[in-house]
Amino acid sequence: MLTTYTISVFTTNTVGLLNRITIIFTRRRLNIECLTVSETERKGVSRFTIVIRNENREFVEKLVRQIRKITDVLAVFGYLDDEIVFNEIALFKIATPLHGESIDVKTINLDWNAKVVHWGLEYVVVEKNGTEDEIHEFYTYLKKWEILEYIKSGRVAVGKTEKGLVAYLPEEGNWEIV
Amino acid sequence: MGQTQSDQPTLLTGAQAIMQSLVEQGVTTIFGYPGGAIMPTYDALYDYQDQLHHILVRHEQGAGHAAQGYARMLNKAGVCMVTSGPGATNLITPIADAMLDSTPLVCIVGQVRGNLLGTDAFQECDVIGMSMPVTKWNYQVVDANEIPEIMAKAFYIAETGRPGPVLIDITRTAQSDKMTIPFEYKPIKSLVSYKPRIEPKAEHVEAAAKLINAAKKPYILAGHGVLISGAEQELNDFVDKTGIPVATTLLGMSAMDADHPLYVGWPGMHGNYGANVLTNSCDVLIAIGMRFDDRITGDLASYAKQAKVVHIEIDPSEVDKNVKADAPVIGDAKSALKALLPLVNKNEHTEWRNEFKKYDAEEYEKIDKKDIFHDGDKIKMGEAVHMLSNKTKGEAVVVTDVGQHQMVTNRYYRFKKRNSIVTSGGAGTMGFALPAAFGAKVALPEREVIAIIGDGGFQMTLQELGTIAQSGLPVKIIILNNNFLGMVRQWQELFHSRRYSFVELQNPDFITIAKGFGIDGHKVEDRAELSASLDTLLNSKTPYLLEIVCEKEGNVFPMVPAGGSVTNVRLE
Ligand SMILES: Cc1ncc(C[n+]2csc(CCOP(=O)(O)OP(=O)(O)O)c2C)c(N)n1
Ligand SMILES: [Mg+2]
Repeated sequence: MLTTYTISVFTTNTVGLLNRITIIFTRRRLNIECLTVSETERKGVSRFTIVIRNENREFVEKLVRQIRKITDVLAVFGYLDDEIVFNEIALFKIATPLHGESIDVKTINLDWNAKVVHWGLEYVVVEKNGTEDEIHEFYTYLKKWEILEYIKSGRVAVGKTEKGLVAYLPEEGNWEIV
Repeated sequence: MGQTQSDQPTLLTGAQAIMQSLVEQGVTTIFGYPGGAIMPTYDALYDYQDQLHHILVRHEQGAGHAAQGYARMLNKAGVCMVTSGPGATNLITPIADAMLDSTPLVCIVGQVRGNLLGTDAFQECDVIGMSMPVTKWNYQVVDANEIPEIMAKAFYIAETGRPGPVLIDITRTAQSDKMTIPFEYKPIKSLVSYKPRIEPKAEHVEAAAKLINAAKKPYILAGHGVLISGAEQELNDFVDKTGIPVATTLLGMSAMDADHPLYVGWPGMHGNYGANVLTNSCDVLIAIGMRFDDRITGDLASYAKQAKVVHIEIDPSEVDKNVKADAPVIGDAKSALKALLPLVNKNEHTEWRNEFKKYDAEEYEKIDKKDIFHDGDKIKMGEAVHMLSNKTKGEAVVVTDVGQHQMVTNRYYRFKKRNSIVTSGGAGTMGFALPAAFGAKVALPEREVIAIIGDGGFQMTLQELGTIAQSGLPVKIIILNNNFLGMVRQWQELFHSRRYSFVELQNPDFITIAKGFGIDGHKVEDRAELSASLDTLLNSKTPYLLEIVCEKEGNVFPMVPAGGSVTNVRLE
């Protein structure tokens, strides 16, 4: 069975590191479902959140160890979905031509927990936060209208633990908060 | 402590900073080849010639392999220096080789001017991108001020933990610009993002000792990690106490005296019969500084399934990668063996040891005897190496290329001295031996260094004869000439019904070539003259090439066919 794994990689802020990390996936012919690179609350620490699907837990564990081996990588975690709080953000650009069916802002707000973030001349942009599944369902609902463009971010995730990032970073670092 | 104006240190250029960093790091030797993008550094080198011995190779690949040979003899980083573009791409093969064989290298590579980066400038190439998958670490320097710190980091990363190649790509401007801060070289002792574990955890060691003490048929596979960490003595102490038979991997050869009563040879595709088969009979398999390469394990699904596995390994990503470890010990081989020694029981394992002897006897009858004491008139590779081993008392440094002669050398050279093998294992790079032997000789001029090379591989890097001649160092070179890409021919014979597809060579006159480079040599074809020929080679005070014309279609046995089980060993 395909299981979704979220791999959180904490690194020093180094040019080219994204490349070094992705090589590990390409070498093993592993498709990256989505990837988010972001800063963290600690100075000089970057965070890569990589989502993959795989049938073999052992394979993923080996992958995590390979990533951990990269010089400049500070810490790596592989999570199952129930071990993290995670979300994505999606934007939908929907055509609202003059005589077409107007969108139902109330349903979008209340039933779908989404919001119109921009009103254009003959279109609107709707923003929805949620898991892949929630966003997918919303997408299906929006199909009644003409979807001009749809974009979804990669996953962002934090582990379900009371510990902060710094607890996992090497002790002697000066992990100044930004 | 106020500094007066006149006390201010003169500021170095980036190029001078590179030189000064090398000196302060304790580097004495550089293997290199100049060109446009590295010229400022070569210019600075001109003033550092007393402190830094630069060796001009004939091809950048030669620089890389020579640095590898050097590094493996001394267990410290070999340094090579090349120009951008083609200079750098020529270095990729040795870098990849060093990555797979855990060899510390620091490669200093010139790059186009900073303002030209990314413009497809003359001799620009994305060396960082290209070398990323085959380096332990790489870095592009665009600012001269960064140089001392980056150099220190490079050596630290290359030499510590599981050693490996590091590449520093330095723009021409970063070499020619003056630093704006005073030069200061501070060797690095630790890095926040890189924490190799040397000392193993006590609970790991205890768990391993427990398994070892309970074992009835324990078996040690000792790898390159023993040589790299300098754990030969610790291995011996451990074995002498526990009575456990030891096989050494191709790269772990010479970790143990070949005549030690507990030495049982080597495992793997062309390894020894018993060393392979009994992997599937032992009850505890103790892997020390080795990574269960597929050339050793063959079919993983049938490899050592009955055994509990103790895996002593410095690189955590190697544990459970191919073979699952019941007792992983993360740490370097030396520290781990030291920690284990007091915890393991004294033992003999006589019966178990005798099981190997049965296989040894059969192997000797079916293979060794025919290789060494045959009555054919053509020289066999095996007898040549056997004779060489006797004549040198197993005390030479042996550097091999890749192919049949490599396997034969490791079968018949009886290593008596520690850290005496240099061979390309993980990558199997033909053309490795000649420059690597030269590098080994530069590192340890007092030792006899003998390169054993095939006729095919010799032609991949033979231009380094020029480097050897120029240095005058008495590197001894043996070509085992079978007029074939022998190892490929063997596979074609055995697995492709003798369809010899492009494996026969029309060879040059190797001796004329050597002489053209100013290196003396001769060719031997007659078995009766083999012994005298080897004496001539060994007695030479200058570099010498001995071409030994061998039987053309000899095969290397035993053989575990690729992907087969270690119990399925072909003896003929
Ligand atoms: C650079 C490179 N190219 C190709 C090969 C594949 N290969 C492995 S062994 C071998 C034959 C080597 O022939 P030779 O050097 O004559 O040695 P022999 O096997 O005859 O002893 C070849 C072509 C290789 N290992 N390295
Ligand atoms: Mg040959």
